Amino acid sequence: MAFFSLLVLLVFNFSFELGGAALHEIGPGVLWSSFVFASLLGLSRSFADERENHSLDALLMAPGDRSAIYLGKMLGNLLFLLAVELISLPFFTLFFNLSPGWFLLPLLGVFFLGSACLSAAGTLFAAMSSNMRLRELLLPLLLLPMILPALISCVEATGLVLDNKWGEALYPHLKMLAVYATVFIALSLMLFEYAVEE
Amino acid sequence: MATDDIVLEKASKHFASFVALRSVDLSIQRGQFTLLAGANGAGKSTLLRLAAGVSRPSSGRVLIAGEDPQRNSEARAAIGLLSHHTLLYDDLSAEENLSFFAQLYGLADGTQRVEEALEEVGLLEHRQRRLRGFSRGMRQRLALARATLHRPAVLLLDEPFTGLDQPACAALSQRLLHVKNQGHTCMMVTHRVGEAATLADRLVVLRRGRICHDQPWQGSSQELVETCAPFLGTTTL
Repeated sequence: MAFFSLLVLLVFNFSFELGGAALHEIGPGVLWSSFVFASLLGLSRSFADERENHSLDALLMAPGDRSAIYLGKMLGNLLFLLAVELISLPFFTLFFNLSPGWFLLPLLGVFFLGSACLSAAGTLFAAMSSNMRLRELLLPLLLLPMILPALISCVEATGLVLDNKWGEALYPHLKMLAVYATVFIALSLMLFEYAVEE
Repeated sequence: MATDDIVLEKASKHFASFVALRSVDLSIQRGQFTLLAGANGAGKSTLLRLAAGVSRPSSGRVLIAGEDPQRNSEARAAIGLLSHHTLLYDDLSAEENLSFFAQLYGLADGTQRVEEALEEVGLLEHRQRRLRGFSRGMRQRLALARATLHRPAVLLLDEPFTGLDQPACAALSQRLLHVKNQGHTCMMVTHRVGEAATLADRLVVLRRGRICHDQPWQGSSQELVETCAPFLGTTTL
């Protein structure tokens, strides 16, 4: 996932003349595009081990709340995604000639909330598509339109941090991401067992 | 009076416009070993998945030991499922697989129970080997160990003989006979009805989602094959 994310950054680096003004124009979009593409790779593998020998049936039969399966998978995806983002950030600063500094610190909050949105929605759709034949195609088709509102906030918030303009302006975007993640996690906890049943 | 461990009341299952099960009523008494036979697409595996609680009926209800396994997680703890899929993880060792499921079921004596289960199926010396390197017969034995790890009252068997050679089938039959003698309520779906003759004490045949034949069973393998043949449309079972 991390390697794929770095490849996407590299492709953008050679496709456009990055650095300078481009940092503020397309930098946040490039960064989040690489995260989303990398997350699709990881999310599509979320239930691969369970698919192999149908072990999801055994998990569903175990006593206890079935939504725990969703929570476990979601937290796993969140951790992987955060790791990918933290690995990619130094390369992003390198490609965009961005001087690292403390002003980038709020990016951690944006990354965390953005990743929570991606993994909350992505894990549910990965579960839904895991038993389908065209799952690799279906997952992006389901996830990308649904994640769009959160993605816009992620890009806007990242742009503000890169411009060193965080403060009042950043707050609505973080709030939007927190609400999106909370709503999607709550919805997924209710819908998960129906999503994986057939 | 005998109690019923598995009860289906007017259970139906639809997949879009396809009706897999049509208003099935079935009660299986505690300790009974029921053979569920039927042609492909008759609804056998669907019925078993409803009983296992991994699928919910479109209408009607399913009770395991008097409780709905969909709503009551403790009722699910009373069920073990052995399928032609192992429901195990290929990248874990035999011991890791069983330990994982022992934790899922909250077994207090997990480590000891895992060892017992591995010994019962003759895999104790292979405990550290990954499942990926196991033969089909060894995988199925480990799957049986997983299905019975938590000592379930109800054991559901979905085509357990699939992919096994004759000695492995005979060994699995022996293990299942042992499980039956321990008092588990069992329901087995299989095309190889001959293998089940010594195990079954009830025969239920499904056709197009309905029960078309239901009788107590005691007889030889050949008699069972002959009894089933008219319903399955073949004599080469």
